Parts: sequence; structure tokens; C-alpha cells
Amino acid sequence: MELLPINILLMLATCRLTSSETVGPTLTPLTLASALPTNSTRVHLTGENKVENVELLNPVNLSLECIWTGNQDKQPSITGYWRKGGEEIQDSRVPVAPENQQYRLQRVFNIVSEEHLGNYTCVFENEAELDFILAVPQIGEKREKPIISYVGDFVVLTCKMEEKKPVPRTWNWFKTNGTDKEQIFEAQRYNIIVNGHKTKLKVKDVSEADSGVYHCAAVYNISTSTSKMHLKVITIWEPLKPFLGILVEVVILVTAILIYERSHSKKKEAEANGRNADPKNTQPQVEDDEAEENTSVRQRKT
Amino acid sequence: MPPAPADVLGPKPVDGGWGWMVVLGAHISIGFAYSTPKALSIFFKPIKEDLGASYSEIAWISSIMLAVMYAGGPVSSVLVRRFGSRPVVMVGGLMCGVSMVTASFGSSIVYLYLCIGIIGGWGLCFNLNASLTIISKYFLAKRPLANGLAMAGSPVFLCFLAPVNQYLLGHFGWRGSLLILGGMMLNCCVAGAVMRPVTQHSAPPKEVDQSNNTKSKGSRLKKVKTFADLSSFKDPGFIIYLVGNVMFIFGAYAPIVFLSAYAVSRGVEEYSAAYLLSVMGFVDMFVRPLTGLVANSKWVRPRIQYLFSFAMVFNGTFHLLCPLMRTYPLLVAYAVFFGVGFGMVFALIFECLMDLMGNQRFPSAVGLVTIIECFPMLLGPPAAGLLVDIFDDYKYLFFMCGGVITTGGLFLFVMNVYNYNRLEKANRGKDTEQNQNTVENQEQASSSEAQMELMNTAQPEPEPEHTKETR
Repeated sequence: MELLPINILLMLATCRLTSSETVGPTLTPLTLASALPTNSTRVHLTGENKVENVELLNPVNLSLECIWTGNQDKQPSITGYWRKGGEEIQDSRVPVAPENQQYRLQRVFNIVSEEHLGNYTCVFENEAELDFILAVPQIGEKREKPIISYVGDFVVLTCKMEEKKPVPRTWNWFKTNGTDKEQIFEAQRYNIIVNGHKTKLKVKDVSEADSGVYHCAAVYNISTSTSKMHLKVITIWEPLKPFLGILVEVVILVTAILIYERSHSKKKEAEANGRNADPKNTQPQVEDDEAEENTSVRQRKT
Repeated sequence: MPPAPADVLGPKPVDGGWGWMVVLGAHISIGFAYSTPKALSIFFKPIKEDLGASYSEIAWISSIMLAVMYAGGPVSSVLVRRFGSRPVVMVGGLMCGVSMVTASFGSSIVYLYLCIGIIGGWGLCFNLNASLTIISKYFLAKRPLANGLAMAGSPVFLCFLAPVNQYLLGHFGWRGSLLILGGMMLNCCVAGAVMRPVTQHSAPPKEVDQSNNTKSKGSRLKKVKTFADLSSFKDPGFIIYLVGNVMFIFGAYAPIVFLSAYAVSRGVEEYSAAYLLSVMGFVDMFVRPLTGLVANSKWVRPRIQYLFSFAMVFNGTFHLLCPLMRTYPLLVAYAVFFGVGFGMVFALIFECLMDLMGNQRFPSAVGLVTIIECFPMLLGPPAAGLLVDIFDDYKYLFFMCGGVITTGGLFLFVMNVYNYNRLEKANRGKDTEQNQNTVENQEQASSSEAQMELMNTAQPEPEPEHTKETR
């Protein structure tokens, strides 16, 4: 998206707070209805929603409006105010009188930079409140498990913004170094590909020092949204240890089984030879003749 | 009185003792054979990311592995007849191990096709075929139970491999996981080691001299036959079995592949949808040995082909009913019954072939069956997927699969009624001539009848010298 002039866009979000017939104000289900002129964000929320997410890309004058339909008490005037991040905004207290049985609280906010984003709450004192969360589009897919790679190999880290969300202006990659985030630039070992909603960081010839937390940042005009992933580089020795362990186990078991069988069959032969008048000389001959039955030839020493 | 069937049909089965160790070996071997292609799918996503391939290119790895595992049947049969089960399973296990270890160093998708698909597929093929054959050598009276226990390896190992693979992936990445998986598959060599070749019993010297003359002539002919044994096709029972099986396999795997997707489309959340398959696998694990036990009972054993047809019809019916299951509890019930039907069929699938063909012809027969089953197995899920794409509705998939399987089951039932009658009539005629026939003719006699005789002689405790030898 291209850069837009700063103060032209006006967005209005309204919410209608409805009270249920029997339940008190603290359990008031909140409903939202729409309504906007140019470039509006229509929001329809019904039911128990106490949070409204607003995605912003560019600096804007944002008008937030809350409409509450009141309850049985029918108070003549109620105090309304706004909170940002939990703290009451100065000079935002106003008395609200009902119009057509609705209480309306509205305020225009100047959202220019990152510090203006956050949690805004409209409050009808002691009656109802609703949160607006102003933020840049968040990267959906969170990679919780570490990405494993081997020393000397290459690894590809990817970040994706949902297709239906707005395209970031660009993408940046960072690596955590102690407490700082250090940006990664295109270099011999690093290869960064930016492709609209997706980005890839290819790290070649990794070593154990490359292990750590990496961040991809989707840059928008107003702020950036980040996602992190963990890269773990291990040597070939790590999986080799269990493999060798299993190999040893297999060899031991096979040898044990074959030895047991050999000693067992020797015992049987000794028993049988002692008991029978005919020695079992006829058997090997029969076996040599029958080609199909030579499974037992292997066992007998002729 | 006819000569002891053991001389004609091979060594007398042990039906116990070391046989149960062999069942354990077969359980492990078959378990790896069936569960590995499925369990590998857990590694597909990381491999896809690393090698930059598309999802369908990666999915081919499993398909190639399954195809080679089934198509290699006849070759495996020849090797088993020549060398016996033990060396074949040990080589198979070694090949599987090597395939996974070499695959862990791979850097292209074609390399993985070669290592996992072809070498791994061959290894599994040897495992499967040889394990089934040795069960038929060790068991007769308790064979259905032995088969049920051995085939139970498939769901047990799938249940075990899936979380293990997840754990390995999290700690070692896909390369290390394949390396360790290769090591685990070397345990098939251990399974092979327990498959002690069945010892030959002492035949009365008189009989041996007689049959020696006929054998020196016949053995040359036999050597030619063993290499390309298509004599199974002459048996109508075999053809019937084959047709029924092909129909079953065509419809069997598609519901498994699409069950989660169907559940999600009905509004079930992804995690619960995946849980349905676990339910099915869990039920399958217990149903297989139980079916083996039931099939072993005196009343069911002679009519085992009917039980097989019943199992198929049962399976197919529930697929037909699946589109009616719209809520999650109903889907869980479907998964349970699916597990029951699937387990019943697979517990009996090779037992019925053994019942039809007998010990001697089973190794080559099973090779032919698997190579022919290759086609419906590979075509079934994509065909079902095509139905879903065309109609944009899963119910047609279930109708098709259920319909094909139920038809197959009914076909088997009807044809088996006919076949059993035919065999009865044939044997009444043969009884009078049996003593004068040559060895070769006796082999082609209805083996199920001969097996009944063997069982009748085996039911009471066999002669003391036999038992002492095999202990």
C-alpha cells in the first residue's frame, strides 16, 4: 500500500451496548452496530463481546463511538469517560444524557505513531464498558517448536502474513543478541527474499553460534508487527548417539537369539541321537532332494 | 487310509511353543510394514520446507513406498520359497534401516523417492511377505489367532510411531528423526532372527523311498514353476478371493484419508477431527486379535470365508451410513464401528488366503495378491478425492466406498457358497482315487479339505516323537 496523506482518513466505529432484560449491568451483553461515512470500518458484534479489534496500517484520525441502550433504572444522566491502557484519559469525563433511550459516547483519537496504538476503553461509569484494541495486523502462524538444523547445512526461516490481511510495506529480519535485536542484512551467508505476504530468510553453512531466537517484522506505516521463532543448530552426533544405542541393542539381541538357538538345537540332537536306534542320517538326504523345503537345511550341519 | 498329509503338504505345524515367538516377530515386522508409510507423513511438512517441494511431490514418497511394498510381492515370494523366511526378513530389516539412514542425508526430493520409496519399499515388502509365510508354516489349528495377533502389529505400531515421530521431530529435526527411525527399523532383523526355520519331521523310510523316485522327475518341473508360479490363477477360489479383495482395497483407504476433512466440514474442530482416527486405530488394535480368536473357534473356522464376507459387508454398511452422522458423538460412533470392521477384515484377509491356498501355495499366492492389490490401493484415494472435487460433497465418497466394499462382500458371500458346494462334490469323487494319485496331483487337491484332515489329526495331542522334536 502506498503512503497516504495523514489526516484525511476518518474511521468511525460504533458500538451499541444492550442490556438484557433481567440481568444487572455487569453482565450486560454488548452488541455493536455499524455506521460510517467515508472509509468506514463496519463492525457488527453481538453477544458477550467485550473486545473489538481494530487493524490500522497508516496514521489516521480515528473516531470511536459507543452506544449503550441503558437498563431499567433509566437514569437521567450518566458519566462516561475513556481509558487508554487502563488509565483514565484526562479531560475525557463527560455527562451523557439519553437520546431516544440510548447513551452515546464518542471521541476522536489522533493515531499517528506506535505509541498511540493500544487498548482504548469507553466506560459508562458503573454500568458498562467496551475495549477497542488498536493494532497493526498480526502475524497469525506462531511457530512454537524450534526449527532444528545441522552444522554445515542451510536452513530456511519463513514468515507469512495471512492473505486476507493487508500487505506489509516490507519485511525485516532480526536476531536476538543478548537483550538486543540485531537486524540481519543480505550478506554472503544470509539471503532474504521478500514476496508480498511472505518472506524467507535463508542462512547458509550454519554453525552452533547461529542458534537463537529470530524475529521477522512486517513493516507498516504506523508500526511493525513481529513474530519470533527459535532456531536450534545441533551436530550430527546428537541423533547419532541414540542410533548407535539402538544398533548395539539389535546386534546383541540377534546374536543372543542365534546363540540360544544353536545351543538348543545341539541339545536336541544329542537327546535324539541318544534315544533313537536309527541316527537321523536319512533326514539331510531328504532335505537335499526337496528344493522347496530347504528352509531347514541351514540349521543342520551336514 | 491316505498317506500322512505332512509328507505332501510340508512339515507339520507346531501350533504353539516357539510359534508364539514367531508371532511376536511377525507382529513387529508387519507392524513396521504397514505403519511406516503412514507415520512418515509427520515429517512431510519440515521436509517440504527444507527441500522446497510441493505437497503432492512429498506425498509421493509414501505412495511409492506402498506401491513398491505391494508390487514386490512375487519377487519376495520367490526368495522366501528359496531361502526361507528368516534370511528374507533380516535382509528386509537391513534394507529398511539403510533406506532411512541414507535418506537422512538427502538434499533432493528424487533422492528421497529412491531411498525411502524404493529401497524402503523393498525392505518392507520382504518383511510383510516372509512374515505371513512363516505364520502359515508354524500354525494350523491356531492359525487364525496367530494371524490376528500378527496383523494387530499395524495399529499398535502406528499408535506407537506417531507420538514417537513427533517427539523425534521436535528434538532432532527430520534428518535426525529419519536416522533414528532407521535404527528402530533394524529391529526387524531381530524379528527375523526369531523366525526359526521349521524343522523337517522324520518320515517313515518306506514312504521316502517311494516319493524319491517321483520327486526327482517332479522337482525339475517344480523349479520352473516356482519361478513364475501362476498356477494359483487356476483355482476358482483364488479368483473369487482376488475379486473381492480388489473391491475392498479400492474402497478401504479413502475414508481414512478423508475422515478428518469430512469431520471438519461438518463443523468439528481440527484437533477433535484428528482424534477420530486415533479412536479408530485404538479399536482396531483390539479387534484384530479378538477376531482371530473368534475365527479360531470350532464353529466359525470351517466357515471362515463367510466371516470374511460378513466383515466386509459390515465395513461397507457403516461407510454408507456415515453421511447420516452429522454430530460429533455420532462421528465417534462411526469411527468405532469403522475400526471394528476394518480390524475384522484385516485380521482375516491373509488367513482366508491361507485357508484357500494351503501352506504350499500360499507364498506365491500372497505375492500375486499383493501385486494385483497395488492398483486399487493407489487408485482408490485419488478417485475418491476426485468425487469430492466434482460434487463438492463428501457423502458421495462414502457412498462409493461403502457401495464398492459391500458389493465385494456380498459377491464373496455368494461365490463362496457356490465354491464350498463345488469343493464338497469334488472331494466326494476324489476320495476313491486319492491313494493312486501322484504327489503333484495331491498338491492341487482342495487344500482346505486336506487342512481339515490335518486339523482333525492334529486336534488331539500329536504323536510323542513329534512333540519332543519340536520342543
